[in-house]
Amino acid sequence: MPRYRIEFRKEGPARFISHLDLVRTLERAMRRAGLPLAFSQGFNPHPRFSLGAPLPVGVKGEKEYLDLELVAALPVDEMLKRLNDQLPRGLKVTRVWRIPDDAPALMATLEKATYRVDVSLAREITQEDLQRSIDGLLETPEVIITRRAGEDKEKVLDIRPGIYALSGRLEDGRARLEMSLAVGNRGTVRPEEVVLVLAERFGLPVKDEQPDVIRTGLYPAEPEKSYGG
Amino acid sequence: MFELEQVLHRVQKPARYVGGEWNTIYKDWGKTAVKVAFAFPDVYEVGMSHLGLQILYHVVNSREDALMERTFAPWVDMEREMRRRGIPLFTLESHRPVRDFDILAFTLQYEMTFTNILNMLDLAGIPLCSDQRGPEHPLVIAGGPCAFNPEPLASFIDLFVIGEGEEVFHELLDLYLELGGHRAGRRHFLRRAAEIPGIYVPSLYRVEYHPDGTISAIEPIAGGVPPKVTKRVIRNFDQVSFPVKPLVPYLGVVHDRGMLEVQRGCTRGCRFCQAGVIYRPVREKSPATLLRQASKIVKHTGYDEISLVSLSTADYSRVQEVVRSLLDQLGDMGVSVSLPSLRVDAFSVALAREVQRVRRASLTFAPEAGTQRLRDVINKGVTEENLMEAVSAAFAAGWQAIKLYFMIGLPAETEEDLRGIAELARRVLARGRELGVPRNRLRVTVSASSFVPKSHTPFQWEPQVEMEELYRRQALLRGLLKEKGLVFHWHEVEASFLEAVLARGDRRLGRVLEEAWRLGCRFDGWSECFDFARWQEAFRVAGLDPTWYAYRRYAYDDLLPWDHIDAGVSRKYLVLEHKRAMEGKVTPDCRTGKCPGCGLCPTLEIEPELLDRAEGVSG
Repeated sequence: MPRYRIEFRKEGPARFISHLDLVRTLERAMRRAGLPLAFSQGFNPHPRFSLGAPLPVGVKGEKEYLDLELVAALPVDEMLKRLNDQLPRGLKVTRVWRIPDDAPALMATLEKATYRVDVSLAREITQEDLQRSIDGLLETPEVIITRRAGEDKEKVLDIRPGIYALSGRLEDGRARLEMSLAVGNRGTVRPEEVVLVLAERFGLPVKDEQPDVIRTGLYPAEPEKSYGG
Repeated sequence: MFELEQVLHRVQKPARYVGGEWNTIYKDWGKTAVKVAFAFPDVYEVGMSHLGLQILYHVVNSREDALMERTFAPWVDMEREMRRRGIPLFTLESHRPVRDFDILAFTLQYEMTFTNILNMLDLAGIPLCSDQRGPEHPLVIAGGPCAFNPEPLASFIDLFVIGEGEEVFHELLDLYLELGGHRAGRRHFLRRAAEIPGIYVPSLYRVEYHPDGTISAIEPIAGGVPPKVTKRVIRNFDQVSFPVKPLVPYLGVVHDRGMLEVQRGCTRGCRFCQAGVIYRPVREKSPATLLRQASKIVKHTGYDEISLVSLSTADYSRVQEVVRSLLDQLGDMGVSVSLPSLRVDAFSVALAREVQRVRRASLTFAPEAGTQRLRDVINKGVTEENLMEAVSAAFAAGWQAIKLYFMIGLPAETEEDLRGIAELARRVLARGRELGVPRNRLRVTVSASSFVPKSHTPFQWEPQVEMEELYRRQALLRGLLKEKGLVFHWHEVEASFLEAVLARGDRRLGRVLEEAWRLGCRFDGWSECFDFARWQEAFRVAGLDPTWYAYRRYAYDDLLPWDHIDAGVSRKYLVLEHKRAMEGKVTPDCRTGKCPGCGLCPTLEIEPELLDRAEGVSG
């Protein structure tokens, strides 16, 4: 059965919907769009599609992905249009392309995510100050943090190996950080964790405010496996 | 908006507050004459499961000259953030403050949301009491089942809509436009609105009391104001405007499926049931209308499930035909059909079997009382034979868990009736074993709520059983239901007590509501929020005794707090039904063609709209 990879954006009000709610929302949009969906077997059949790494609630996604299986081939332009006609505010398909029937599942291939994080600052700093904080973190061989895992469990881990790249510049009094972080089955580093470490251990004067986080891309370990169209 | 976004990162389930769902209607604020905010005084997931919201959203937004947006009670975490940052109550569509709308319309689905209404008014920056509001504030209106005893809310609500809203909402908006809005003169607008049938303006009535606290008079204070307000009912229900493009929430809500209303009203005449009275007479839609609407709903929502909703769907004359046609029409698209409630009989189980897509969850039945004597008292036309037939059919069809709903504290209940509940449950359990349900899977859950007397029912004069006694009865049942395979659930007695106070209360309770809200009462229907001690303090401060309201037996000739609200059923009939209840006499279902004489049809000049007359329907 034909398989497609769909690239989409999640922003505006839609960025506050959870991963589970997104699955439900996409399923309904696909039904409304009248796509020739392939259904899972079993008593409670669902359309066969799978999403890449879940996007945390509140984070905008500029290039998110899902793989969809259909029972009959459909021109990719038509699929893009039909889906966009049925998607609620803030969700928009930007690209659709066909992938080989035996392409590995999305989740299995994704290993890296890039983020743009805008952080409000508690006091004015210089570009040098910002760079010093960033370099401080990058020069540290080990960054141990405690992460909540469930109701009253905590997990201690080293996030440094999962920080692939980090840079920053000042813009309108805020620090704009570009990060490249581990994502997927082999471990995930969250952008908020990086901000917290910068603030608590490397002197970045972060204001007590939720940073504005955009996931700008998702990448496989080896680029050729993206089956990019 | 930046402020709101900051807050959304700090609360649970932010999707409750952002809007943007599929089928949301956005209108041009500047070009729309009347702006209405619909307020559901509970969380988003509950409000969005409510068909009435979808209906009114559709009714108002179908007009060129009006818009309706939605707002829900913010959960406690959101309220904290809003108050901390001074964010006023806002709507989901335009994120505008509710205060900027012309009309704020609350729906009253259950008494335990009343403090949320006050909290929402306060969060909106609107004075709680009608008499403190000026032209700069929206008109605050309310409707829904609890508007049938509106008195506890009389000082907070400018006008109530009594009965079904589809038509009267238009009349109200027309008047609003004609008079150039209430801002031109609130009192004048309310005087004119009171002339619309079904509109009750509490400030235009004076209530007087006897020295013992009972009511001596409820009278209009001005000419042209009707002494009694009669409920509104939709005629030609098959043709009523119905939302086929309902809002599709992102969040998993309580009822997350397409809703198709197959009929309105119920003919059974259970004597405790207020819905059975206020939605009379029964009106069925035609199969052709239903099939057309169902296919549109599926097309416009993408839902994979359509629920046939009504007070008693198995009673709908053509239920089997409609179920089969829907399965034929929608089955290929992977859409299933569901039934919200089951009648206690084998027919209903057969229907459930037909629609189920094999999710072997439990089946629920509501015999309500444990003995035939008490079931006759409440006119629940169900026999033990019906129940055993139903559960036998269910076990035979593969269900392994049965839920049974009962009420305790019903009028004339004795220990025998409580033992009857346990015996019935054991008999169901035994039948499951006989029919080969594996012992480790077989489960019979008994759920017992406490009876709350409601206005406009034959039991409106009845007192609620006292709390101590209800605790004793619960304990007795709990003891009787200790056996492998039996599970017992019960309701909080204190919450039922408060519900009774508010359900049969009068205007003076407004002081208690305000005080309770001030003391921090919110979400009283949620056990994690309900705090009875605060309520007791509120009653003490207001100088009112709650037991006087809950435990009092009203006399037939007492003037009741809701006597000026007319549900169409005659007082004579309710008295007769109450007497028949005490004699254990049943009254026939009006669907059979035997008119029990409730007086509604001649009073409202209406008739039941039935496709077929049923023959000898069993409970």
